Amino acid sequence: MRRNGPAALVFHALFVLFMLAPLLIVCIVAFTPEGYLSLPTRGPSLRWFRAILNYPEFVRAFWDSLWLAALSSTVAILLAVPAALAIARYRFPGREAMTTLFMSPLMVPHVVLGIAFLRFFTQIGISGTFTGLVLSHIIVVIPFALRLVLAASYGIDRRIEHAAISLGADTATVFRRVTLPLILPGVVSGWLLAAINSFDEVTMTVFIASPATVTLPVRMFLYIQDNIDPLIAAVSACLIVMTALLLLALDRLFGLDRLFVGSGKG
Amino acid sequence: MSHLVLDGLTKRFGSFTAVEAMDLSVERGEFVSLLGPSGCGKTTTLQMIAGFVPVDSGTIRLDGSDLGPVAPNRRGLGIVFQSYALFPHMTVAENIAFGLEMRDVPRAERDARTRAAMELVGLKGFADRYPRRMSGGQQQRVALARALVIRPALLLLDEPLSNLDAKLREEMQGELRQIQRSVGTTTILVTHDQHEAMALSDRIVLMNQGRIEQIGAPDAVYDRPASAFVASFLGKTNVLRGTADGRGAVAIGDLVLALAGAGSGPVQLAVRPERLVLAEQGLGARITSRVFQGTHWLLGAESAAGPVMLMRANDGLPVPKEGEAVHLRFAPADAALLPGGVSA
Repeated sequence: MRRNGPAALVFHALFVLFMLAPLLIVCIVAFTPEGYLSLPTRGPSLRWFRAILNYPEFVRAFWDSLWLAALSSTVAILLAVPAALAIARYRFPGREAMTTLFMSPLMVPHVVLGIAFLRFFTQIGISGTFTGLVLSHIIVVIPFALRLVLAASYGIDRRIEHAAISLGADTATVFRRVTLPLILPGVVSGWLLAAINSFDEVTMTVFIASPATVTLPVRMFLYIQDNIDPLIAAVSACLIVMTALLLLALDRLFGLDRLFVGSGKG
Repeated sequence: MSHLVLDGLTKRFGSFTAVEAMDLSVERGEFVSLLGPSGCGKTTTLQMIAGFVPVDSGTIRLDGSDLGPVAPNRRGLGIVFQSYALFPHMTVAENIAFGLEMRDVPRAERDARTRAAMELVGLKGFADRYPRRMSGGQQQRVALARALVIRPALLLLDEPLSNLDAKLREEMQGELRQIQRSVGTTTILVTHDQHEAMALSDRIVLMNQGRIEQIGAPDAVYDRPASAFVASFLGKTNVLRGTADGRGAVAIGDLVLALAGAGSGPVQLAVRPERLVLAEQGLGARITSRVFQGTHWLLGAESAAGPVMLMRANDGLPVPKEGEAVHLRFAPADAALLPGGVSA
């Protein structure tokens, strides 16, 4: 294996530092005992973490966001799997159009989507409901789910499925025992990416959320408009730790390099 | 009645005819190779038998019953693919047992048959390995065991050895032949490798551009090619120009041979390099090249009937040098008359 030269190593180290610094600083600030965002700060304190518990709306928004992310990413992946398999293996009229349609939410600015959904949901009478929130999030996260499942689907050797058929498996069995396990890394990573995107979507959600359905990012956004104190840093720190734990668990289960890079030893 | 009968089998892709009106009968237990250059329709034929490619016209009958309406997963055929196509997420034992599982074979019998299949292909002790931890040759064995364990009516092999290196391929050829003999499964092999086809088959079906050129035992097809294509595709061959006198004699330069059925006028004869011998008299030629190949010398010569190649066994006797004038001859039985109008 070729090794990096010292200049390259310094560059990589600085780059990684640049990426991690904001996260690190938020985490440090969260432990401040002061009443304002301060750095450097005196001694660690859990004051602002305890403060979260005094704001039940944060905790409720967290559960709403989690539920929303789980639901919308699951529906998105259920739609993405058949779509990806069809796109990856068949040439049919409208194939390109379908792919573009599914990917289009990436191209449209979320502000525009937010206004459009607000108008549309009002029109059909589901404005301000959780259903509306889920529907809009499904559409926004579908490109992520589809992209990753599609990448996995292109990599399948159809002869593996032919082998299963020749051994007596019917269509449903081939999918369950062969195709799905083969695209599973794509399905899991697509689902995860979709869930993360749904969880921290704020630009569009701000338009659609009602007081009854405020997601965590929207709640945080509303909070810092009124007052900036270390409470928001403490909430962020909690989210960072939870995300890290989730990724760690997935790495143990599947191997992250395999999920996102697609190579790996599997 | 023949075991497998293809009758007028035809497949077109758009305006391209992949397989045209193919007729073939295969006996029970026979090992038949479909041999030909890429694009000759051999793989398409195999896929039609397997049911992965729909048939345009013609029928495929197995033991007298039409396979046409039978879904590919109900045909009960064993297939080995060039890429092995093993299930990467299953162990060797799970791969092999898959077909038995689909047939709801009870657990105990499934295990016993899986074990027997692994022993048959020499993979004892590999049950819990994953395919990616195995060499190409071992994966090939798993694929073979997986196909054979369901006791298929037919074993279809699609270029099964072409991903292996030369030495391993030769080894696997011997083993494949021996396994097929011991199990007795009727086998269709698709290959572009003439040595593989000749080493393994009872009969070779030589295909070109969607049609069968010749069917026969390997030595028969090799010795008596029915067309210039067969002669040039199977091994090396010399095409000699001669003139028939209409009374059963053919003159090739100074060499005159008695050949029945030659007609009269110009003819073309196919003669294998190993059947051309140096002689005191006969077809005059000048040696233009000589290459030593261990067991024999390969000599190139310019003759009155066109350029020729001949083999000279490395038997310790002197070998003519470049530029030397020689005479060549061959027995009438070693020459195959080619249909006219061909040049090679």
